Amino acid sequence: MRRSVRWTLFVSVVTALAMFVAACGGSDNGGGGGGGSKTAAVQTKIAQGKKGGNLTYLAAGDVDYLDTGQTYYTFGYMVAYATNRMLYSFKPTDSIHPVPDLATGPPEISADNKTITVHIKPGIKYAPPVNRVVTTKDIKYAFERAFSKEVPSGYAGAYFSSIAGTPDKPNSGDVKPISGIETPDDTTIVFKLKTAEAPLVSQALVMPITTPVPEEYASKFDKSTPSKFDQYQSFTGPYMVKNDPTTGKVTGRVPGKSIEIVRNPNWDAKTDYRPAYLDSIKIEEGNDDLATASRRALNGQSTVCCDAGSPPAQVLKQALARQKNQVIFVASGGTRYIAFDTKVKPFDNINIRKAIIAASNRNALRLTRGGAILGDIATGWIPPGIPGFEEAGGLKQNTDLDYLANPNGDPAVSKKYMLAAKKDDPSLPIDANGKWSGGEKILTIATNADPGKKTAEVFQGQMQDLGFKLNFRIVPQDTLYTKFCGVPKQNVAICPNVGWFKDFADPQSMLDATFNGKNILQQGNVNWPQLNDPQINSAMKAASTTPVGTERNQAWAKIGHMIAEQAPAIPWIWDKTASVGSANVNQVVNGYDTAHDLNFTSIK
Amino acid sequence: MLPFIIRRLLWMVVLLLVISFLTYIIFYTLPAADPAALRAGRQPTPELLASIKKSLGLDKPWYIQYLKYLQRLVFHFDFGYSYQNQVSVKSQIFDRLPATAALAVGAAIVWLLIGIPVGIISAIKRGTWMDRIAMGGALVAISAPVYWLGLVSLYLFSKDLGKIPLFEGQGAYPSSGNIFTKPGEVIPALIMPWFVLAASFAAIYARFLRGNLLETMSEDYIRTARSKGLRERTVVFKHGVRSAITPIVTILGLDLGILLGGAILTETVFNIPGVGRLAFDAIQKSDLPTVQGTVLMGAFFIIILNLVVDVVYAFLDPRVRY
Repeated sequence: MRRSVRWTLFVSVVTALAMFVAACGGSDNGGGGGGGSKTAAVQTKIAQGKKGGNLTYLAAGDVDYLDTGQTYYTFGYMVAYATNRMLYSFKPTDSIHPVPDLATGPPEISADNKTITVHIKPGIKYAPPVNRVVTTKDIKYAFERAFSKEVPSGYAGAYFSSIAGTPDKPNSGDVKPISGIETPDDTTIVFKLKTAEAPLVSQALVMPITTPVPEEYASKFDKSTPSKFDQYQSFTGPYMVKNDPTTGKVTGRVPGKSIEIVRNPNWDAKTDYRPAYLDSIKIEEGNDDLATASRRALNGQSTVCCDAGSPPAQVLKQALARQKNQVIFVASGGTRYIAFDTKVKPFDNINIRKAIIAASNRNALRLTRGGAILGDIATGWIPPGIPGFEEAGGLKQNTDLDYLANPNGDPAVSKKYMLAAKKDDPSLPIDANGKWSGGEKILTIATNADPGKKTAEVFQGQMQDLGFKLNFRIVPQDTLYTKFCGVPKQNVAICPNVGWFKDFADPQSMLDATFNGKNILQQGNVNWPQLNDPQINSAMKAASTTPVGTERNQAWAKIGHMIAEQAPAIPWIWDKTASVGSANVNQVVNGYDTAHDLNFTSIK
Repeated sequence: MLPFIIRRLLWMVVLLLVISFLTYIIFYTLPAADPAALRAGRQPTPELLASIKKSLGLDKPWYIQYLKYLQRLVFHFDFGYSYQNQVSVKSQIFDRLPATAALAVGAAIVWLLIGIPVGIISAIKRGTWMDRIAMGGALVAISAPVYWLGLVSLYLFSKDLGKIPLFEGQGAYPSSGNIFTKPGEVIPALIMPWFVLAASFAAIYARFLRGNLLETMSEDYIRTARSKGLRERTVVFKHGVRSAITPIVTILGLDLGILLGGAILTETVFNIPGVGRLAFDAIQKSDLPTVQGTVLMGAFFIIILNLVVDVVYAFLDPRVRY
């Protein structure tokens, strides 16, 4: 008897010990990370670095493409920014004002907003095996291939279709010349537009589509569908992905495993504002567990993390308490929101939408991501860091609307709108207390991964408080976008885990794709509310041709308010992204792509 | 024996066809992400989506896609190209197979080296504190999920994060090379994963062998062997264990076959670039060709090792004949 009691005790102690250890090390994306924590650096200036050293970057996934004509993902941009040069790019501390990169100066826009002229620096060379000087014909070819079916660019049609001579149906045919892009000499490129959209097009020249592509080298790869150029990408930046110097085949990338980035031997520092301190960068992929990866970065040497988002709240809290200097925050330039489908009952009723927005506790939603350290409460769709933010009212934008005034929710205002909905339509199942009493379940598709899953569950609770019953389904995020929320015919009433982040620093890039009625697509739709208000659509059309500056910002700020008045969604956070690194790393994060800027990061 | 083997190989072909068909059906029935939309990016035009679908062969009906896939597979041993990165699925699988094989075989050696002695000792010392500790420990090891055990190991013993830094941790497995070309890097990186993966198997084998051995040791011929004056060691090992261990061969083959299809959880926790990890990433990205390839490869290993086990069994047990 005594023996078995001792044995039982022994096993229990061992088990409890192991569970205690696991709890200490476990990842926890739950709330509780807010207020009271010491804040870390929000990057405003870059420390002078030291040349040399090798950096390890811990990534969860892989780049979408190395091909600069196709990459359209933060991680792909991070690699593209280090290994290639675009017409314009952003210094790490200023994600609003692009600087000339290949270009010699700002784009020259004609008075009628239909012509954009850019001059490029002479003498910029490609890495081996191309080895020659970049000309504007290479940029022209880069655009032409991005409109072909062999190189399906995700944004060529969206931002550059106004260039004369672009195909009516982008990405449906082979590579063809675009008559509206002229190259009068090797260092001058002229974009001729069909419509007066130079303000938008000129802003979009920061995107990787403007990376030069040598036609004589790339065209043979562009003959196959899809193009094989991704495996033979050319490089013009301070760095390059390791390749075969004879054939150009990229050898430094093993999909899903690693990317080896080395110095470009043909890069001329005198032509570039980037210092390129590091000798090499090794990207290690497959680090899905952000808790472990971020701890490895924080406690290791010459390592940074992560591409898949901020470290879990618990890890961040500990890091801010003990390793504050190793954490950097940067505004992600986007808004997360809960979208209603305005074509699906009962959200075709604007008062119902206003009532739910009024009732929503956005502070509680924010806590699911980690609290105040990871973002401000969103009140609209022009986030901090985007022109138009201040003109829209800054952090208080749209709070003149009573349903957006209280971030903790306002039951009285919610009741007001519910009763107003009942008055408009007496058939609606709303009781005298302003609660929904209908039995039909409302289809809601949420993500299956934290913290998004937690956010959706908190929102579900808030909806239940209002009396709504949800048909709550959880799916992977990719499935959420591509099979449900992005496909209007699925009639998903609520998508609680959507968000939109900038393509470049212009308010049109934040509002047009997501709320313009003409952008409602049957597949790949990002106007998730299916908002189609003729007044908003016309205002956007008019504002798209307004020159860059205060007037443009004001025009789009006004549109932002018009959108908020339609109550299509609940904006709830303007994210900040937290990046972590080892103590011996001078981390620099670029505010444009919110990823580490490998050109400025250095080893101490 | 030869007709038996040939029959089994023919059935293997049929089974692989059925599995490939079922995988296709599951992929199209369950709401996985749209691979064309994933490739297309954020605001794809209808033409862009159509173009990508065509380039990936997704514009055709599913049965046409399946027949084309079978044609390539049977006549050219071609598993197709990943939707995600256009790299040949076959090359990706074979590139990652050494990592999975090293993990699986190494873990098998560890669990046999632990499980068999523990099972024997437990059976011989039945009812003693040794037996109780061993079986209690086995119960814990069986109950602990492998991913939890992996995370606990990392936080306790990994060199970069652990409280007692002893072993290489997550991400230590080199992105190129294998156990034969880079043993100095691969073996240290696999020590913890071997033990983590082996833990529950060792426990199962120990319990299984203990039970078998207890049953065998109560047989009449064991009593006869003892009464003939044989040493206890000879009775246990030559007569008892030899008989009791035969079923272990069967389950060893099955377990190894399953693991060669990819120990997904272990590979993910320790970031080992094996087939399991490849399958996991492919499922996340709705990359059907890669999913199909890894499923077929896993099924192949299970079937083949099942066959090997049956043949070996026949040698071990003269009563078994096919």
